[in-house]
Amino acid sequence: MKTIFSTSRTSSAATAAQPGKNAMTEEIAPADTTSAPPRLDVSHLAKTYGMGDKARTVIEDLTFTVDAGEVVCIVGPSGVGKTTLLKCLAGLHPSSSGRAAIDGRTISGPPPEMALVFQDYNRSLMPWLTVRKNLMLPLRHLHLSAAELKERCDDALAAVGLSHAEHQYPWQLSGGMQQRVAIARALAYRPEILIMDEPFASVDAQTRFDLEDLCLKIRRDFNMTILVVTHDIDEAVYLADRVVVLGSKPARVLRIVDVDLPAPRDQITTRSLPEFARQRTDVLSLIKRPA
Amino acid sequence: MKIQPKTLLTSAAGFLVAVAAWQLVATGPMAGGPLPTVTSVAVNLAAVVVTEAFWTSLATTVGIALLGLLTSAVAGIALGILVGSFEPFRYATVAVLEFLKPIPPIVILPLVVLVLGPTGQMSWFLVFLGCLLPIIMQTVDGVHDADPVARDTARSYGLKEPEILLRVVLPSAMPFIGTAIRVAAPGALIITVVAGLLGGGPGLGQSIYQAQAGGDYPTLYALVIVLGVLGMFFQGATSAVERRMLHWHESFREAAHR
Ligand SMILES: Nc1ncnc2c1ncn2[C@@H]1O[C@H](COP(=O)(O)OP(=O)(O)OP(=O)(O)O)[C@@H](O)[C@H]1O
Ligand SMILES: [Mg+2]
Repeated sequence: MKTIFSTSRTSSAATAAQPGKNAMTEEIAPADTTSAPPRLDVSHLAKTYGMGDKARTVIEDLTFTVDAGEVVCIVGPSGVGKTTLLKCLAGLHPSSSGRAAIDGRTISGPPPEMALVFQDYNRSLMPWLTVRKNLMLPLRHLHLSAAELKERCDDALAAVGLSHAEHQYPWQLSGGMQQRVAIARALAYRPEILIMDEPFASVDAQTRFDLEDLCLKIRRDFNMTILVVTHDIDEAVYLADRVVVLGSKPARVLRIVDVDLPAPRDQITTRSLPEFARQRTDVLSLIKRPA
Repeated sequence: MKIQPKTLLTSAAGFLVAVAAWQLVATGPMAGGPLPTVTSVAVNLAAVVVTEAFWTSLATTVGIALLGLLTSAVAGIALGILVGSFEPFRYATVAVLEFLKPIPPIVILPLVVLVLGPTGQMSWFLVFLGCLLPIIMQTVDGVHDADPVARDTARSYGLKEPEILLRVVLPSAMPFIGTAIRVAAPGALIITVVAGLLGGGPGLGQSIYQAQAGGDYPTLYALVIVLGVLGMFFQGATSAVERRMLHWHESFREAAHR
């Protein structure tokens, strides 16, 4: 697996080096060559939709970083601009000013080492493809061997508990199952950076705990860098090394809360720590405060 | 999609009433006129269908109609995706397409006959042209209907534009394309026949023309009946193909799993 990841990265660097080609990322000489840049670096990012009279600034000025192997959660009220931020990070639309970078390379198109689980999970699954074929769609251009393709899909489906549904179509599944298919598709892609937009919103409590633990497990096993948008403060504190609290309109970072709960985390013991209660109260009071 | 016995009975009854009405008119008010009786048409039909010439001309008609439909589908889908996906293409073609849309292909029949002669190619070309426009138009609509979230998903996973067009946009547009082809199918048959009738192209149209020129009305009507049945088969076949290919689409989901 490591080899696959490094191949995809070299190829991206090669694309970037070729002038004229539609480069995904641009090499920017890091100012400080002694320390590696953070995996994901968002600095003074702003996003305005539309132009002229219709211009609407959704994101004012966001700055935060995510280090390699870190889990960072983003919380904030509905409509604050969380999805907008993730789309900027995924290179789906350009930011209006400021910059987002991976390993010091400015993001100017979908980065090959990243996977995004969309909030509209049902619209992001292709209704004409079975579950397994949905998982395979992003893998086609990676030119994997048939064995590896099968292994990745089997593993990802097993991880979200949907091995039995592989030949069904997304529309034959419940909302929670569809959401897990979307997550499985991202897992099968084996990204280095996984970004998820409210990924556990439609699943039941038990499945939600399982998926949260799966998230922590893949971080541990693959040193994956994970960024999760969630409405659930408890979930954010349970999952994250740091919680980025967004607020006000247009969006700003209200605070970045370091979560120092012991690892490995456990649904029962971690959530019953007094420290857990204190951290969630911290975050909650930030959100509750009128903007 | 199971047909209820009751529905079938009603359809059969309606058909029988229509046939009875025809027989009544042909034997009563219009007796002796050019309208033949059901019985004489049936006798002629039985005589016609045993000849080899009939089957050749039937096969020719079906072949030309199918080929015309198929080629116009391939070209129409490709053009529709280009026009629907790339703004410059749209602006370059919109005026031409809108201008051509209301013009029936039969209008250019004399011109096409002049160039290609009374041949199979001439018939094929008319079918091709006649089916092309609606398929382009519907494909363009289908492309515009593709869910932006699905496109963004593909894009975020690093799919390149040609692959997105092929694997996301084209399947999204398939329901529109399916409708266009189903609607165009009887048209393909009609144009083939008209090209034979008026342009001298091979097939059933030509046979009908010969029957008419020879004053052989019972044969003429026998051929018209064959044409009607053929049209029903064409429609049924294209609907079945559509249902099969689009079994995943909302409008066919229940049908596929009942
Ligand atoms: N394409 C767009 N054009 C114009 N405005 C948009 C567009 N997309 C989103 N917005 C606006 O930007 C704001 C932020 O939307 P966004 O979807 O990022 O919020 P969110 O924080 O993800 O909300 P939720 O928690 O409900 O998902 C909203 O007010 C929305 O109306
Ligand atoms: Mg959102």
